[in-house]
Amino acid sequence: MPSPPPVNRDAVLVSREPLDGPYVLLTFRHAEVARSSRAGQFVMIKAGLSAEPPLRRPFSILSVDPAADTFRLFLKTIGPGTHALAALAPGDLAQCLGPLGRPFTAPPAGYEALLVAGGYGIAPFHLFSEELRRAGGRARVFYGGRSAADLQVREPFARMGVPLVPTTDDGSLGHHGRVTEAVEQYLDTRPGPVALYACGPDPMLHAVARLAARRGLPAQVSLDPWMGCGVGTCLGCVVWMQSASEPRPHYRCACTEGPVFDAREVVWPGEESSRARVEAAAASTEAR
Amino acid sequence: MTDAVAAAPRLAVEVGGLRLKNPLLAASGTFGYGVEYAGILDLSSLGGLVSKGLYLAPRDGCATPRIVETPSGLLNAIGLQGVGVRAFVEKVLPALRAYDTAVLVNVCGDTVEEYAEVTRIVDQAEGVAGVEINISCPNVKKGGMAFGGDPRMTHEVVSAVRKATRLPVIPKLSPNVADIAVFARASEEAGADAVSCINTLLGLVIDVEARRPRLAFGTGGLSGPAIRPVAVRMAWQAARAVKIPVIGIGGIASASDALEFLIAGCRAVQIGTANFVDPGVYDRVRAGLEDYLRRHGLDDINRVVGTLRYPGLPVAEELGG
Repeated sequence: MPSPPPVNRDAVLVSREPLDGPYVLLTFRHAEVARSSRAGQFVMIKAGLSAEPPLRRPFSILSVDPAADTFRLFLKTIGPGTHALAALAPGDLAQCLGPLGRPFTAPPAGYEALLVAGGYGIAPFHLFSEELRRAGGRARVFYGGRSAADLQVREPFARMGVPLVPTTDDGSLGHHGRVTEAVEQYLDTRPGPVALYACGPDPMLHAVARLAARRGLPAQVSLDPWMGCGVGTCLGCVVWMQSASEPRPHYRCACTEGPVFDAREVVWPGEESSRARVEAAAASTEAR
Repeated sequence: MTDAVAAAPRLAVEVGGLRLKNPLLAASGTFGYGVEYAGILDLSSLGGLVSKGLYLAPRDGCATPRIVETPSGLLNAIGLQGVGVRAFVEKVLPALRAYDTAVLVNVCGDTVEEYAEVTRIVDQAEGVAGVEINISCPNVKKGGMAFGGDPRMTHEVVSAVRKATRLPVIPKLSPNVADIAVFARASEEAGADAVSCINTLLGLVIDVEARRPRLAFGTGGLSGPAIRPVAVRMAWQAARAVKIPVIGIGGIASASDALEFLIAGCRAVQIGTANFVDPGVYDRVRAGLEDYLRRHGLDDINRVVGTLRYPGLPVAEELGG
């Protein structure tokens, strides 16, 4: 089913719930995003029309309430874009385009979906857990962060009855160590068929991709490169890809052809020898 | 209030043989091939759109990172990633014909011959209103700035493209030169119908922790509101230097921004980086232009063009301009 086109409109901030530390939940009214978003899709949003910050920011859609025409974002305030959004008061307007991008694809029937999140990478898995549950599927969340304070979105999964395994670098909550270690431990218990889904920092996504390749598991990763437009025109967010159907490495827009990609098709940093080979071949062709 | 003023003011303009329903075009490199925005805004509400730069062959473009924000601006080094002119003509152009807007193709080349060849392909295609010549991209190693930074090369490329088509030919000039008027005149002498100015300003952003450029290419092209005063000044200089019309580009995000260029002497403007920030920008700017004309008792946008009251200079209209 093709997704409906994204809609650009002013989105009023309905509510603002500060969480611990730099985290905040923002609820906006935007009927089309609320009604047609799928898990893994995102919005491009900015507070106001001023020249600062220059660009909108992409955020995964955390959850939707179609009855209220609202959707919710989970933000970590880091730079000027997130701070400007977090400073909005209820009733203020943001400029919002969405829903954008390709969503996660549910695993085949009988598979358990292992949702691997790093920090604010938890955002798309709220909606994905709901979708999987509605379809009768099973999900399990592995949620990693530096410390307990970075694992702010746990309650919705408890409410949905989705098991959640927290991991922290400092051992302040759950498994003391990397989130991929907890995933490995679970896989060692020989569960039934599983599919991996990951959203978080690039090194974590790369680790999940390696894990999936090593164990022969299907894996989808949600990438988060710098994005300018969200609709495939600035070509700023491109990802170097290579696949069996298209063996020549090529750029794909994370905004329109992602942000969710098959982990096997991403050419990860440090694995760029294929690009170097292609460029060398192109140079020798030119020289002739 | 007269009837003429009470009616919707006229926004149609004519630029070097291009008839545009309003003076707002989407700038090359910021609007894809147009079709990307078809579901988001009404393409027929635009005066025109300029395609992403096209060579004969498809291109991968630069490595990543390709974009970085700057104060009120954007530095990019995309490197003219594109599908190639033939794929554009075969796969994209048919879809664009459904819209009532002027489609211009931004023509690129590594050599003068390539510019001419791309232009011949565009010339034969149905549904192209004009050709913009990219002689000012700072993010490619060959072509681009090599042609736009030397007035003799500019003349050579524009002449070659001029011979390859009867469509309006519009070189897009670089701001990375000492005197843009020289390049505007070289374009005019070579047979250009208009000039667009400006392309991006060459810039460099450094990651001080890593002591490396933020962009993989190293330098990049600066765009957005940060460059607007420079762009208005250069468009104004170009407009004073030549008789052919000037299309102003540089940091336009509002009606007031567009009016600066029109008052400075531009017949039309292109909206660039603002496309990324707000796809609703055309509706806002068009409404703002109409509002401005009403407030100033004018019935036609052309009556604003070149009306700058500059100290020591008479208003253009008083010169019969």
